[in-house]
Amino acid sequence: MSNTKNFFRPSEYFKPTSVAEAVKLLHQYGEKGAAIAGGTDVLAIKDPRIEVLIDITGLGLNYIKSDSQGLRIGATTTLADIEASPILHEGPYNVLAQTAAQMGTPQIRNMGTIGGNLCNASPSADTAPVLLALDAKLKLVSTLRSREVPLDEFFAGPFLTFKGHDELLTEIVLPPLSPRTGTGYQRLTKITTIDEALVGVAALVVMDDKGEVIKDARIALNSVAPTPMRARQAEEILRGKKVEDGLIEEVAGVVESETSPRSRPDYRRRMSAVLAERTIREAIARATSDWSSGR
Amino acid sequence: MVDVTLKVNGEKCKVVVAPYETLCGVLRNKLGFTEVKKGCGEGECGACTVLVEGKPVCSCLMLAVQANGREITTVRGLSTDGELHPLQRKFIVYGAVQCGYCTPGMLLVAKALLDSNPRPSEEEVRAAISGNICRCTGYQQIVEAIIAAAAEMNK
Repeated sequence: MSNTKNFFRPSEYFKPTSVAEAVKLLHQYGEKGAAIAGGTDVLAIKDPRIEVLIDITGLGLNYIKSDSQGLRIGATTTLADIEASPILHEGPYNVLAQTAAQMGTPQIRNMGTIGGNLCNASPSADTAPVLLALDAKLKLVSTLRSREVPLDEFFAGPFLTFKGHDELLTEIVLPPLSPRTGTGYQRLTKITTIDEALVGVAALVVMDDKGEVIKDARIALNSVAPTPMRARQAEEILRGKKVEDGLIEEVAGVVESETSPRSRPDYRRRMSAVLAERTIREAIARATSDWSSGR
Repeated sequence: MVDVTLKVNGEKCKVVVAPYETLCGVLRNKLGFTEVKKGCGEGECGACTVLVEGKPVCSCLMLAVQANGREITTVRGLSTDGELHPLQRKFIVYGAVQCGYCTPGMLLVAKALLDSNPRPSEEEVRAAISGNICRCTGYQQIVEAIIAAAAEMNK
């Protein structure tokens, strides 16, 4: 990336102290305005179209809350806070902490936020497949309304979402998990400092009482399609099946067939199968090992 | 243009900045803290690392306006009254400084590590410096210096 010409020249900076104030500003400035939290994507990309910066770190959206309704994560929660959170330390939600721990660098994790990772909408965003596997919903707020969008209806294309310019992502909502749920995320990276994902697969399985039958499954991937995606055909095959020789290999092959990588397609397709197999096995192992605690 | 106050190494610095100016640029060019290095300018090399309230961040990815009112530590803040910090002394003794460009960032992430984890394992040290590239040393001397500094500080 060239540093010699820099056309990133926003002329105004606001730091609202309430969500109401923030969405008013987003509404006022529309396409000229951009929310900024940690800035790790905004300042790496330096989009010259941004004229007004709206700092959303003062809105109290840095939290992780767990209750009977599930998990709620504030949009400006940093990746470092997710990595270190005692709430995410154990159980199936731990996959989120483990994933955050692998992203970027320690410096980037101290500033970068989960909301920013989703709204930047890189096809390689690591939190995306994990949150897709966890059935996340996003809370989007504007001056006119507040709505909840399932994450698998959020991504429109590479670096494009269905969030309006006047909308603010405030919260990520995860439904409660059934007992005997296991999760996993495995990835291969491009070998650079930042270690952007080359292929990533997240899986969630719910096992039956005996730990033999897969009652439900989610498989999601990043970096193998224009957006983070769910491998729905593969999921369908897993549902209701006993874990036997050949099943997971078969499903991994189906996952591969559902991908559509643009660059390095042969390698990415093959690796999606390899990682899918590993991740599904990891999720099954964790589901059956956690069941003694009833989770 | 916005008036901001940055508390750098304990000292209040008032400066006028444009919304798009990075903390790195302002520290170096407007306030004279040239010990903060600009490497890649896009958060991948870690040369520009400073501590904000004790946490390592890439100053090239932070707007100066976002640092308003916050406590910033540069490598200059490691030494007290002209006395080098144990980390700095060990870096010299262990040959962890060659060209010196990664050094301010390395020292600051090491400081942050030892502040929260006074007896890190080698693995933990390597994880702490994983956001800082060194093109000269191959990292071994840096890791050894940090472990040696930790040992001295724990005596």
